[in-house]
Amino acid sequence: MTEFMMALVIGVLLGTGTYLLLQRTAIRLILGIALWSHGVNLLLFSGGGFKRGLPPIILDKTNFAGEISSFVDPLPQALILTAIIISFSITSFIVVLVNRRNSIVQGQEEVAITPNDPFAVDAQLDAVTEEDYEFLEDALILLPRQQRE
Amino acid sequence: MNFNPNWLAAPVVIPLCAAALGLVFSQTRYRQHTTRMQQGLTLVTVVLNLLLALWLLYETVGLNQRLVLQMGLWPAPFGVTIIADGLSAIMLTLTGILALAITPYAMGTMDDRDRMNFYPLLLFLLVGVNGAFLAGDLFNLYVFFEVLLMSSFVLLTLGGQRAQISGGIRYVVLNLVASLIFLAAAGITYSTLGTLNMAQLAIRMEQAPPSVQALLAGMLLVAYGSKAGLFPIFFWLPSSYHTPHPAVTALFGGLLTKVGIYTLFRIFPLIFPSYLIEWQPLILAIAGFTMLTGVLGAMSVNTIRRMLSFHVISQVGYMVMGLGLASANTQLAVGFGMAAGILYLVHNMIVKTALLMAGGAAELEVGSGNLYSKQLKGLAARRPMLAIIFFLAAFSLAGVPPFSGFVSKLGLVQAALGSQHWLIAGVSLLVSVFTLMSMVRLWQSAFTGKADRPSLPVAPLAHPQRRWLTLLPIGALVALSLAIGLFSAPVFRWSTIAAQQVLDREGYIRAVQPSDEIMMLELK
Repeated sequence: MTEFMMALVIGVLLGTGTYLLLQRTAIRLILGIALWSHGVNLLLFSGGGFKRGLPPIILDKTNFAGEISSFVDPLPQALILTAIIISFSITSFIVVLVNRRNSIVQGQEEVAITPNDPFAVDAQLDAVTEEDYEFLEDALILLPRQQRE
Repeated sequence: MNFNPNWLAAPVVIPLCAAALGLVFSQTRYRQHTTRMQQGLTLVTVVLNLLLALWLLYETVGLNQRLVLQMGLWPAPFGVTIIADGLSAIMLTLTGILALAITPYAMGTMDDRDRMNFYPLLLFLLVGVNGAFLAGDLFNLYVFFEVLLMSSFVLLTLGGQRAQISGGIRYVVLNLVASLIFLAAAGITYSTLGTLNMAQLAIRMEQAPPSVQALLAGMLLVAYGSKAGLFPIFFWLPSSYHTPHPAVTALFGGLLTKVGIYTLFRIFPLIFPSYLIEWQPLILAIAGFTMLTGVLGAMSVNTIRRMLSFHVISQVGYMVMGLGLASANTQLAVGFGMAAGILYLVHNMIVKTALLMAGGAAELEVGSGNLYSKQLKGLAARRPMLAIIFFLAAFSLAGVPPFSGFVSKLGLVQAALGSQHWLIAGVSLLVSVFTLMSMVRLWQSAFTGKADRPSLPVAPLAHPQRRWLTLLPIGALVALSLAIGLFSAPVFRWSTIAAQQVLDREGYIRAVQPSDEIMMLELK
């Protein structure tokens, strides 16, 4: 029963996460990534088996013997610990990136464009040609196409 | 002299210590001085790293053996296994060469805004890449992948321009999803087979139900494939690679996708040898579509670095073609297709970086990478050295003799024809022609003609001394490509040794010696 419930939870998390990842808004993207990483972490966790009240330690340390059913496998727990740290840090990095992009777009923050920056023209051109790829940036105010010339 | 296996940890430990030390010098005060310290430290580290890699290359390929380090003397499946064979050593050497080339290039081209902690980040990237080439189990592979991705995220958005950040978001999201698929595959592997050690997986994978085997092979193919930029999950690459500083683009284009290719080369022959045969049509189809979409994309875009990043994709297709032909029956030597794939990997890492560095230098010289812009014309007359180097690198990429591109493509086509795969051979030749066409187009619009407007070289390149610092590493890489083309026999022999080691599963398992029982090694 526990296995079935866990499979259901993982499935719902991954499914909802995929749905959110395919949306256009940045906040849904972030939530989708968070749900995905939780789903995958639970998947790792379920690899250790669900046994209540058992230690992840082998009791008989002199000859490392013992029934496999008398302890919980500690390795998946170590794996999730690493995976949680990694996915959390990357998620927070994406939050910073999205925040930074929004603040550039809304003009709250002066972007460091030096007066004689030769790449400034290119950056504008880029913004126009980028339009084909825009699947995330509906928040961006695009330059009108006339500026291409 | 006997090789002390503890040295295997050095390619990870040395850059890690140097990166941490470099961060000490990252205060904003006395910036000029502290950047000098970081530069010097990085230069010393990448030279050490290359020497170490060359030593490993001699020990593995030269003596045809595998080197194994069991961390803390824990026997194989219980401890961390670090293993270097021919392929790992070749990749380590190439990484060392690229890092050594990028460092002076970055010194020449970067100004203060760009190089905020660039050098420590470069070293962190080196830690991740070297670690991924040496990892002997799936989970460490995942961790090192994350180390290199994390530093690549920061490098990509270094400078904080708008295009960089929106390109960076796509790059981060796609790579994170691919990493999570990889992690899920590792989790499923552990819960079915009870191990993550690659050698033990190679033994046990046959015991898993066929459905689980297919699931794992598919998940790993998707995860590594999207990191390598394979069709159909490649779109994150051309939408982000042209945004950062040229030095960063050159480093990424030469190095990062190839780590994905390396893992495919490692995992499939070792753990899923039956799927390499069963899925051969699929792998070859992916290779063909990757080549075609990459080169067609390159022909449709209008800036130098964007075009070159589409070429990264199309070149990756050739390497996967080598993987697809690895198990093919030919009258040629064992693993001929694989050897040709490895040779292509060697050639491409060198030439692609040289080309991206030269293209980036051209963009910096005139302040624009747009092929239709008025100041990007007639570079050949104004910067003859840069033009010559770019010309040679472009011809090498297209596969014109006597460069390395010719021998490596010849090897792949020979392997395809030898095993009667006419279609993929035809596609690869067609893509070569298209590559040449797009290179000619780039040459015509950027280097020939006469500039209508005076160019505005970006501040660092205005110093002649810095210009030489920029050109020298590109020239060295092109010379290396020419040397590989001229002396292709020994290089091909080495890649054949590496390919045979990769395909020799029993040898790998014997070298790692995973045991089912817990036993303590005798301490000397």
